[in-house]
Formats: sequence, structure tokens, C-alpha cells
Amino acid sequence: MSKTDLEACAECDLLLNPARPALGEKARCPRCGYLLQRPRKQSIERTLALSIAGLILIFPANLLPLVGIKILGNTRDGNIWSGVAALFGENMWGVAVLVFLASILFPLLNIILSLLISGHLYFKKPNPHLARWMRWLQHLDEWAMLEVYTLGIIVACVKLASIAELKFDFGLYAFIALLIITGMLSSSLDEYLFWRHIGELRQKVGHES
Amino acid sequence: MENYARKLAMKVEKSALTQGLIRCHDCGRLAKQTSHTNHCPLCDSRLHARTSNSFQRTAALLLSGVSLYIPANIFPIMTVSQFGVGEPHTIVGGIIALIHSDMIPIAMLVLIASILVPLLKLLGLGLLLLCVYYRWQVNARLWTNMYRIIAFVGRWSMLDIFMISILVSLVDLGGVAQIIAGPAATAFAAVVVLTMFAAKSFDPRLIWDSQQ
Repeated sequence: MSKTDLEACAECDLLLNPARPALGEKARCPRCGYLLQRPRKQSIERTLALSIAGLILIFPANLLPLVGIKILGNTRDGNIWSGVAALFGENMWGVAVLVFLASILFPLLNIILSLLISGHLYFKKPNPHLARWMRWLQHLDEWAMLEVYTLGIIVACVKLASIAELKFDFGLYAFIALLIITGMLSSSLDEYLFWRHIGELRQKVGHES
Repeated sequence: MENYARKLAMKVEKSALTQGLIRCHDCGRLAKQTSHTNHCPLCDSRLHARTSNSFQRTAALLLSGVSLYIPANIFPIMTVSQFGVGEPHTIVGGIIALIHSDMIPIAMLVLIASILVPLLKLLGLGLLLLCVYYRWQVNARLWTNMYRIIAFVGRWSMLDIFMISILVSLVDLGGVAQIIAGPAATAFAAVVVLTMFAAKSFDPRLIWDSQQ
């Protein structure tokens, strides 16, 4: 066993023997409690299936109206895009870009990258970009904020309920379904397993050439 | 070698760095620290034993966050106008308005997300920096947990920003009713993003390094 076969905790740098937790178990760092590994059942298959589902749902969730209001006979409905557009229209472009990134672009990239990575791992197809995609996915994860956006919708609706009549549109149901799918997606993705498979695929290519 | 490895993990608590090993911050693989290899053999990302310039970067981002927190609370975050009469709301004003209309749970939610979370985050990161700078001997596990909470809750402050983007697009009925985002929205969004970056650039391993 060489020294590089050991592991180190990401948050306290304690040198550890690699843990081999069974399904449903969690491996934590004995010193700081950091979650080292959390193996998931059929991680690759589920990630692939959920990212396909997410890719389908992201279109109605983005394009159809989410909520409609009626004030004194005037009706309006809005979706994520119209929120971004309204902020742009008021010259709040900084905030507009941030909302666009956190609620539209990053969730989309998250799903696309999960699909690409899990697809390649499922069909055992090596790709020189796999490691890069995986790194991007890990860095993006925190900035995709669909669940925070949902809370924003709830608070906005409560604020409006007193002055306007609210109507929930089909887009909202698609959005909530997308929220559930992306939540399941990030919990099904076992990063430890994914990196191990990416490493194995890379080694396979190295031996063949 | 097997024995050596087991001994390391069991009783003699050693950090990877003291053994000349660097953990890749992206894929987690250990690599030997040498003078020439500075890329991870598995994922090609650059190897750093600790986040580079972690203290300076966190401090710079934190100070920018603190200074923007002031305009974020002074200026109106949105202006609600009905029949041409505009009423600017600050973050605190919005919460008070919610309390006045008897929506206490939602008021609490906004209070937590847009006042308590940013404030505790700024304070917490400041404490973490002081702890590392003065090499305080602390319960490192507890402080690491504090760091984890700070890193986890940060994104939830975006709640207010998302709510404004929805309100602004929905309530746009010309003279009847209109909601316009105010300058504090930009400042507040910047605070959230800066503190998220600050939390990301802080390396919790520094807490452990300074313990004896």
C-alpha cells in the first residue's frame, strides 16, 4: 500500500485509511466529523435517470407562467424570465444577472453536467473532459438555488395575497417537480464513487494506448 | 507499509501535509508533495496543500461584505407605489410591514434570511479569521462545525432578492400598482455573493493546523 492510497479529510487534513462503508452507512472523519463518504444505491443509474427527467422538466418550469395576479381587473402573470427581464428593465442589471445565473443558468448546467458525466460512466465511455466536468459540477452546485427561489415565490405570494387575487399556473407545478428532481439528483450523486469511476476510465485509456 | 498506514490512522493523529501529502481539493486524491508536480494526477486541477492565500482572500471578501452591508440596510430595497403614491421599504421596513399585516411566520422567515443570517455570517467569519490569525487554542471540532453552518446557510439569504424579482415582474400595473427594486437590492445581493465567496475561500484546515 503506497502512501497515496491513503485518504485525507477535506476539512481537517487528518490522514486516514480509506473507509469502505456499506450502502446506507456514512463514513465520517473521526476527528472533525466531516462526511467522507455516503454510498448511494445505483448512484450512476439514478443520476442518469434523474438528470434526463430534470432536462425535460426545466423547459416547462422556465417557459410557462408560474404565478398570475389580478388587481382591480388587471391581470399579469410571470415566470423566472420575466423576473430577470423586469430587473433588467429597471437598470438593476447586477441583480438581474445574479438571478439569471442562480435560478436559470446554473440549475440548467447542473443538470446537463450530471447527464454528461453519468451517461459516460453508465456506458463506460472514456472522455478526456470527464474530470473537468466533474470539477465544474462540484463548484456549480452551491450556486444553483432553485430551493431558495421557491421560498422566494412563497414569500412573494404571501405578500401579494392581501392586495391581489393569485392564480397558480401549470408552470409552478413543473417548477416544483423540477425542484424535487434536482434535490433527488444531488442526493443520488455519490461523488466518491464518481471520481473512482472517472479514475478507472482514465486508467483504461492509458493502458490501451 | 500496511502496518504503518493503520498506525497512522488509529492513534497517531497526523495531517496529510505533515506526511508530505497533498489532498486534491476537487477529487480528493492524495498526491506526494514534490517540487515539480503541481497538478493532480487524476483530475488535473492544481494542487494546494491549503487554499492559497486563504486568510487574505477571506479577509478581503469579508471586509467588502461588511462595508456593503451598511448601504444594504440604509437604502430602500424596493418601492411599492399604489395609485402613484410611492412608499420606499428598507429590509427592516419590509419586515415591520409584514408584522403589521399579521404575517408573523413569514416575517420571521425574512428576518432570519435577510438580517440574522448575513449578520451571523459576517460575525462568524470574522471570528474564524481571528482564531486562525492569533492561533487561538479552541475546540477545533466545534469551530469547524460553526464554519460548516456558515458555509451552508449563506445561499438562503438570496431569498429576498428572488422575492423582489418576482414582485417586480408581477406588480407592474402602471399607475394602479407598481413595485420597483431599490439600490439596496444591488448592495444586498453583493453582500450575499461576497460572503459566499468568503466562506468558500476560508480553509477550515487552518483551524486544525494552529492547534497543538
